[in-house]
Amino acid sequence: MAIDGLIILDSAGRPIIQSGFHSVPPAYPILHIDALNNALSAASRPDDVDPVLSVPSLTIDAPSACCHAKVADMRLLCPISGDVDPLYAFAFMQTFVDILRDYFGQLSAETLKENFDVVYQLLEETLDSGGHPLTTSPNALRDIVLPPSLLNKVLSVAGVSGLATPLSNSQPFASPIPWRKAGVRYNNNEIYFDVAETLEAIINKNGTPAASNVWGRIESNCKLSGTPDLLLTFSNFQSLTDCSFHPCIRLQRWARDKTLSFVPPDGHFKLMEYRYAPASASTMHQVAVPFSLRSSIQLQEHGGSFDVTLSSRLTTRAMDSVTIELFLGEGASGASCISSHNASWSFDLRTLTLKWELKNVQPSGNYTLRGTFTSTTQIPRPSRAFRVRFDIMQHTFSALKIDQLKLAGEMYKPYKGMRGRSAGDIEWRW
Amino acid sequence: MSGLRGPPRKGENFELSADLNSEYREKRKDAIKKVIANMTVQKDVSGLFPDVLKNMQTDDLEQKKLVYLYLMNYAKTQPELVILAVNTFVKDTDDPNPLVRALAIRTMGCLRAEKIIDYLCDPLQKCLRDDNPYVRKTAALCVAKLYDLKPELVIENGFLETLQEMIADSNPMVVSNTVAALSDIHTAAVAAGTTSDHFHITSVILNKLLVALNECSEWGRVAILNALARYETQDAQESEHICERVVPQFQHANASVVLAAVKVIMIHMRSVRQDNLTKTFIRKMAPPLVTLLSNPPEVQWVALRNINLLLQKRPDLLSNEMRVFFCKYNDPLYVKVEKLDIMVRLAGESNVDALLSELKEYASEVDVDFVRRSIKAIGQTAIKIDEAAERCVNVLLELIGTRVSYVVQEAVVDIFRKYPSTYEGVIPTLCANLDELDEPEAKASLIWIIGEYANKIDNADELLAIFVDTFTEESYPVQLQTLTAVVKLFLQKPDSSQGLVQRVLNTATKDCDSPDVRDRAYIYWRLLSTDPGAAKAVVLSQRPPISLPRTTVSPQLLEELLGEVSSLASVYHKPAETFVGPGRIGIDSLQRKASEIADERVAAQKALQTVAQGQQAENLLDFADDGAEGGQQPSGLAATTVLAQTPAAANILAGTSSNPLDDLVSIFGSANMSVPTVQPGQSANPLAGFSFNTAASPMPPATPSVLQAASPPTQQSQQEDLLGLF
Repeated sequence: MAIDGLIILDSAGRPIIQSGFHSVPPAYPILHIDALNNALSAASRPDDVDPVLSVPSLTIDAPSACCHAKVADMRLLCPISGDVDPLYAFAFMQTFVDILRDYFGQLSAETLKENFDVVYQLLEETLDSGGHPLTTSPNALRDIVLPPSLLNKVLSVAGVSGLATPLSNSQPFASPIPWRKAGVRYNNNEIYFDVAETLEAIINKNGTPAASNVWGRIESNCKLSGTPDLLLTFSNFQSLTDCSFHPCIRLQRWARDKTLSFVPPDGHFKLMEYRYAPASASTMHQVAVPFSLRSSIQLQEHGGSFDVTLSSRLTTRAMDSVTIELFLGEGASGASCISSHNASWSFDLRTLTLKWELKNVQPSGNYTLRGTFTSTTQIPRPSRAFRVRFDIMQHTFSALKIDQLKLAGEMYKPYKGMRGRSAGDIEWRW
Repeated sequence: MSGLRGPPRKGENFELSADLNSEYREKRKDAIKKVIANMTVQKDVSGLFPDVLKNMQTDDLEQKKLVYLYLMNYAKTQPELVILAVNTFVKDTDDPNPLVRALAIRTMGCLRAEKIIDYLCDPLQKCLRDDNPYVRKTAALCVAKLYDLKPELVIENGFLETLQEMIADSNPMVVSNTVAALSDIHTAAVAAGTTSDHFHITSVILNKLLVALNECSEWGRVAILNALARYETQDAQESEHICERVVPQFQHANASVVLAAVKVIMIHMRSVRQDNLTKTFIRKMAPPLVTLLSNPPEVQWVALRNINLLLQKRPDLLSNEMRVFFCKYNDPLYVKVEKLDIMVRLAGESNVDALLSELKEYASEVDVDFVRRSIKAIGQTAIKIDEAAERCVNVLLELIGTRVSYVVQEAVVDIFRKYPSTYEGVIPTLCANLDELDEPEAKASLIWIIGEYANKIDNADELLAIFVDTFTEESYPVQLQTLTAVVKLFLQKPDSSQGLVQRVLNTATKDCDSPDVRDRAYIYWRLLSTDPGAAKAVVLSQRPPISLPRTTVSPQLLEELLGEVSSLASVYHKPAETFVGPGRIGIDSLQRKASEIADERVAAQKALQTVAQGQQAENLLDFADDGAEGGQQPSGLAATTVLAQTPAAANILAGTSSNPLDDLVSIFGSANMSVPTVQPGQSANPLAGFSFNTAASPMPPATPSVLQAASPPTQQSQQEDLLGLF
């Protein structure tokens, strides 16, 4: 029950960094890289390649599978052999990517190449050569692998590396709580909660939702000294369902009285995820979509014309960075549009997608896009739905409120902050 | 860093060697980084081995790690040089810094050099009892690696006993890693054919595992949950206890923990006697499964495959959640396909309207493959829900009116077979679109309809004549259908179609490339010329109506797979042995134990081959009713004894009747719904398995999905023909 290793490929399918693969023949990782590259080049859309590829092996009795996922401009792949859960591999890849983001910020093949020594150390610490993930909690990792920092670079240029490397904490893993560092000290004790909710919905032609779900997550940034024991209560927890939690949450306590009792990790972490289900049965799955979209699309030979109107249903809030996308079908060759309010539009020849961007949609505002497109195929077949994405700041669909936050185990009074943020990813059929 | 991208300079290694021996530590460290960079891009830097080795003794932990990295990479090719490093390694395991101790023991375990191994045991003994939990857990994993290389060393030194004691460790991280190590050893031991159980879970250990479960990392939880899945409970009460302790894991943020917990519950729920408890567990299982669908597509896919399996056992699991599975147009195809399958599974009278309007929407999408599957799903819905059949037929007719009529005919065939002579009114509409058909499946299906209802279609002979005219240009499935349809027509209207049947038999036997088509034509010819009465009884016999099977795999295999939820087997819907083999053997141990293992492996190979043959033989003679499986394949039974310790292989034997070809095709789920539509026919009809095989085996692996939907009617008549011959 373990994964065989991790390989990171650049956009051209060449390996940038890979783990040791000590217990398998050297050809093993190469076979997997080839299998993936072949599958990708054979597929008409790279997104449609099955995420678990069966890879024939050198020995007859041990075929293996290759789990892969796209991350920024790279692809991560995890060969597994034997009856291993592919989800285990995907979960590890996700964790590793999160760690890399934590260390390097924005990810790209270039960043990893520049910091390859740190990436290698991280890989060694997070994945045992037997394939068992080891230390993946960012709190513990920062003790044993130093993040690249300006200070380190300055010191190394000055030639005094001796100062930069010795560990500040000679007893790593001394903390009795695996996810929290021991001996954290802050001058200002603060904790922030970000509630981010995403509305995912499919809207039928007549404007009624076929399916709609609100997925929420609470991310936290904790800067508290010592070992704080927190007790968090929500004012309207009833509408939260399907919750999943950071391991620090005491599950029994949640089951008993729906309060979150936990000793938080230090720094950024994802406290919980949930699905918002409105309490009354009649409105089940019926979170209102904050806009309406009217469209008329006429298809002709080698092209078509369209007229799209987006109206905000919000009365007080504005929507930010609204993008409306329409795939114009194979063979689409160009488009020309007129948009109201000087909003920008573009047609991407690579993805054959028309994109209309509205930076700010005012409450109850109406926005239109008119235009035509051309296609090399005789009967163009654009996709049957628009994809609309938007953000609403300072707002949550569930109106989730933190009732109170109690702190035990430490003497100080922390500063608490909470803010909401909503996003939407709507498929609007026409 | 320029070394990473710049062109190789002449004598680069020479320069590096000089830098590695520099008196300035910073220069040395930079040089090590460059060496590693070169190593990454597959440049040969093995020549620098002695120079790099000199930098191993350092206070700089980062530098030490990089040197170790280099050592691990070249230890295999330069074992005699690695021996030079042994002293430093052993010294490092006494270092005051626990990180250094752990690093040393971990690296020694990874080197996989015979000579190092002998020096490993003493430090390992010490590290297993280290004060620092990080060192202890690293040492625990190291034991598993040592076992992989030299099992006898592990046993001689009593490391197994130490590990078993360590399950009681106060630190959950140590416990979980010990469990992982013991599980690895157990797997390796089973693969090597050892009979003694190195990781026997007693009820004492069980309780310790349950305690550690709530406190360790996500990976540790997966390891513990997998160990729990192996535990054999003493009584129902113990099973209940395990389930209750594991259920909270459903709320873990990590998807693999959730699935591993689902597995434990599914396994131990079998022995839970209280129905209300079972219901509670099932109810609690639904939310985490739904939550998995908010993940990236690849995670969704694995989750969907597992949900698909769970639904076959527990159809009530997600009955109110169908809308979560509605497809978005930009979902990857593999996700859409699974969602469709699950939607049909969840279809009931209450939600069928919503389902149909969704499916109709999908049928107008751009992606041909997806459209095809959506239309098939409409047919399946009609078969599944009697009350909705008419609505389904109406949707299909509407689709024929639009341009997208790829495989509407196929779906209609399914409906005709389920509800014979109920929807004959639609035949004219179907026939009206004859000219527009260019898909072989659609053509074949329509021809089947014409043949089947020849006596009700006035111009059936004219319609079939069109296909007979172009007979040699058509694809084989269409040819087979044309042949059968013309014979049916002849038997129903002998006067008007004598010429046609002569013509088609002539063409099929003389001008056709496919042996299948020729054979069938000969059989028909012989049948018609000897005894038209028998021919009528055979070709026009009543077929039992089809129904949508509740499961895509046999009940035994389903049980087996449910025990493997959260594994590759549950994603492939195949038992592990069909794609993994009896055990995984690393290349080193392969070389080392070549002689002793060879015999065993050959035996295992042979056994598996026998199983495969038995499977084929069984398929050829598949009587398909579950009762008769036991004694059918004597060759396979012999193999069972060899493979006694691998229950899943025994399960294949026991008649899961998965066709090897079928394995190949449907491994990624292509058309796995349509395979079993054949099976109901089988259970009614002793030789149906044979006919299915004969049809499937000569085809290239890519086509069975093409055949499957069209085949039930024809294949059946084909074997009926055979009966007639006897």
